[in-house]
Amino acid sequence: MPKVRIDNETYEFEGRPKLLQFCLDIGVELPHFCYHPSMSVPANCRQCLVRVGTPARDRGTGEMQVDEAGNPVIQYFPKLQTSCSLEITDGMVVETHRSSEEVAGAQKDNLEFLLINHPLDCPICDQAGHCPLQIQAYKYGPEGSRFEFDKVHKPKHIRLGPRVVLDGERCINCTRCTRYTSEVSGSHQLTIIERGVRNYPMTPPGTEFDEPYSMNVIDICPVGALTSADFRFKARIWEMSKTPSITVANAKGSNCYYWVKDNLVMKVTPRQNMDVNEYWLADEDRLDYERFNKDRPAGPMINGSAAGWDAAYGEAARLLSSVDPSEVLFIGSPFATVEDNYLLTKLADSLGSPAPQYIRHVEIGKGDDWLITDEKAPNHQGCERLGMSEIDAEIAAARIQTGEIKLVYVLEEDPVVAGVLSASDMDAVKVILHPYNVTNETLHGANVVLPAATIVETVGTFVNIDGHAQRVRPAKAIRGVNRTLVMEMGESRADRHGTPFDRWHNETNLVDCQPGWVSLPEVAERLDIEMAYKGPRQVMEEVAGTVDAFQGATYEAMGLEGVRLMEIGAAV
Amino acid sequence: MEAKTAKTKAGEWRKYERVLLPPIKDLHRIDVYEANGGYKALKDAIKGEKWTPTAVTDEVKASGLRGRGGASFGCGLKWSFMPKPDGGPRYLCCNGDESEPGTFKDRQLMEYNPHLVFEGIMIACYAMSISTCYLYVRGEYADWIDQMETELAKAYAKGYVGKNILGSDFSCELIIHKGAGAYICGEETSLMESLEGKRAYPRIKPPFPAQYGVFGRPTTINNVETLACVPLILERGASWYAGLGAAKHPGPVLYGISGHVNRPGVYEYPTGMLITDLIEEVARGVRGGKKVKAVVPGGSSTPPLRADMIDGVTMDVESLREAGSMMGTAGMLVMDEDTDMVSWLRRVTHFYHHESCGQCTPCREGTGWLEDIVSRIERGEGRVRDLDLLADLCSQMEGRTVCALADAAAWPVRYTIDRFRDEFVARCRPSHVAVPALPESELEEAET
Repeated sequence: MPKVRIDNETYEFEGRPKLLQFCLDIGVELPHFCYHPSMSVPANCRQCLVRVGTPARDRGTGEMQVDEAGNPVIQYFPKLQTSCSLEITDGMVVETHRSSEEVAGAQKDNLEFLLINHPLDCPICDQAGHCPLQIQAYKYGPEGSRFEFDKVHKPKHIRLGPRVVLDGERCINCTRCTRYTSEVSGSHQLTIIERGVRNYPMTPPGTEFDEPYSMNVIDICPVGALTSADFRFKARIWEMSKTPSITVANAKGSNCYYWVKDNLVMKVTPRQNMDVNEYWLADEDRLDYERFNKDRPAGPMINGSAAGWDAAYGEAARLLSSVDPSEVLFIGSPFATVEDNYLLTKLADSLGSPAPQYIRHVEIGKGDDWLITDEKAPNHQGCERLGMSEIDAEIAAARIQTGEIKLVYVLEEDPVVAGVLSASDMDAVKVILHPYNVTNETLHGANVVLPAATIVETVGTFVNIDGHAQRVRPAKAIRGVNRTLVMEMGESRADRHGTPFDRWHNETNLVDCQPGWVSLPEVAERLDIEMAYKGPRQVMEEVAGTVDAFQGATYEAMGLEGVRLMEIGAAV
Repeated sequence: MEAKTAKTKAGEWRKYERVLLPPIKDLHRIDVYEANGGYKALKDAIKGEKWTPTAVTDEVKASGLRGRGGASFGCGLKWSFMPKPDGGPRYLCCNGDESEPGTFKDRQLMEYNPHLVFEGIMIACYAMSISTCYLYVRGEYADWIDQMETELAKAYAKGYVGKNILGSDFSCELIIHKGAGAYICGEETSLMESLEGKRAYPRIKPPFPAQYGVFGRPTTINNVETLACVPLILERGASWYAGLGAAKHPGPVLYGISGHVNRPGVYEYPTGMLITDLIEEVARGVRGGKKVKAVVPGGSSTPPLRADMIDGVTMDVESLREAGSMMGTAGMLVMDEDTDMVSWLRRVTHFYHHESCGQCTPCREGTGWLEDIVSRIERGEGRVRDLDLLADLCSQMEGRTVCALADAAAWPVRYTIDRFRDEFVARCRPSHVAVPALPESELEEAET
């Protein structure tokens, strides 16, 4: 296998890798700004310079030249090379800043240039704390500056579009954003205007940067030039915890991080998963977080009045046992986890009721062939794989009106909006509801309300539109103590590095709700139904072991990137 | 100082008869051009048995023609880099985007002898089996573009350009493309980006234009003057061309002489002219009988030579390299003894600052910084340490960018300060703490 020597260590390589990506893959860090693995290589930031040599060959014979000791003679390029654009060849010798003072010097020189016209407004910049320029300037840059003139002034706080704001002065012209719109999203909505040191990205005259994936440029911007109109100045990066999870605005299950401060989700950013969303996130996924923070229920209720959890569980059990099992309609939820839907199925089964059905949420034409789907609920695949069928709203409504159904048990769903229940039915039929939000129109007529933990507060599994099973983790706490949730919780920097005196944790904005895998067994227990699980992990183990369509979907297997399940037809 | 013994390499240049810009009235008109033997070389090349495409390339190689765009790269060698035709499109770009301060010679060709350029283009396209050529002209030459378009239409009508040229099965389109006022578009890869309708950011090499050029296809880029030499080589033979001027850098050259001389202008002579001959005889001496202070031999990016450095130096790659400068475009700028070199350098740095495309960090940031510092020195507010900082910044820019604009910006700074340092030191603010001069003995010690 061909070999390359980097800082006196020899590595084998396959194919024709570029040097920078190869170094990053083997864990040799090289500073860089403009390079992004998913886009073309412009080599314009000039930060990743290295010294490179290749074995010298005799011009006539083409044979490798060797010195007296028999080692190949290495011929160095006269100029330093940008590692991002350089293809590795067999026998190549590379010196990075670790072994070459010249390279270290060149990287320092380049950072000096990058910083002379960059405003040093880190204390008020959103990017500070996770800024590649800031980090690499500290690591590889010079101490202080020799620049004694006015910095170049460019336009600031320009709204490029409804969701992205530009600070032209912070821009270091890496062209990642313009390459993104021309090579990845294909909208061609951004270009560099002006010339030389006055350059900055801009939309063509009379247009705005409004593509449905515009906010990705905010993440790939290596400085704070492109910021989120939504998130600007709301929180510093170190004040938030960061939890790996998935988004739920559509059925793609794009991988993301939820950033949480004071138990409120502040922003959503993409998490790399080459099987699902690569490096990207749709804008609708990013802006779909207010529902975790706002309009949350205050606690359990019985017939419109606040109640304790025990009382509410008891009342739910009493209602369930007061009707004939065949008169109960169980409605599962494509917004809830596989675990919760499974437990609901099990509850219905144990009672002898018909299997739960689910309401489908499709908006035809909303999707594209990338990360946005027509399907607006995240887990209809999970429901299907559990054997649930799509509810026919008309038939269900008719059965309720004729009194055939006397009790509706709903998991995080709004049957009133879906047309299954009408407000006038609510007097005749009993309703038990696990809602996420108080905007749920079924809530007003519900007899028992058991507030449910949302995707950012629970542990569980979702199956995306392509059959990719992925885990979610709690990003924020709920009221009360739950050991399973605490163990899975994301950490902030202060959680990890802070002292007890930081008074980091606080009790604000905690929602009084419970995950389905807590509330459903509580109800079942009161009906003398055996449903004793140690937690969602055990539930999922059982699902993976007993339901063919979920084969192999254990928590261990899913890890951070999920597993691709067998196609539904094939599994049976 | 003892005068150097080196003599002119241009031979009997006083009897030289002009071939690129012959003194013929209305030569730009196609009928006049034809009447004076125009398009004969093209006819021979296409119709005669003698000239296969390979034979044309070999002849150009044998002539020793070097590119006139600044880099002085072997023209025939460049042509031979083109891969074998694969049936797909291939392109020639004729670079008429000259815009470096001190360079204005292509304009003369486009104004007074455009058909020679067209003929050269067609022969080059024939030699490399190319069917499309873009003539990229700087937009400021609007009048000559209009005139060339008129003349090109006539060439099309007469069958020298276009489909089945002169009844042969060789076809070639020629498109005149107008630039929009950016120096960077004269950089060959940047020119291609601009042609493609993109922002003129130079490309990284490799891949080289011969592999991946305009629209991703094999492309050769030649300067206007270079291609204008091609019909002459075919007509008069490679040995005639090779015998003209300096042996290793032969041929006629358009010297664009400007600055403090009595007769500035574009002069055609063989290569290898003594700089002193060009100033004293060709340009009729320095204005007002003053002394020469500095000469910039080939456009503002080439290092300036002090008056005491030009004795015996001839205008060709070899001699100028020895003297510490470059041939560039042979756009020679002469400065007399009253010239303020600080002010001159400030103007040069301003140009590169203004023209840097902004793609690469060292050039984008460095060019402006250079201008800031030199301006400060010009205002009398500089410090002596600024000179060292300038040298440092030049080192930080040179060879670290995609194209050579950073080098072009750094060289004049480095060499002007190097060669005229006293003038710069005199303009700087004195040090706050007077440093006593070292006794001579200690100075020697320090040097060893």
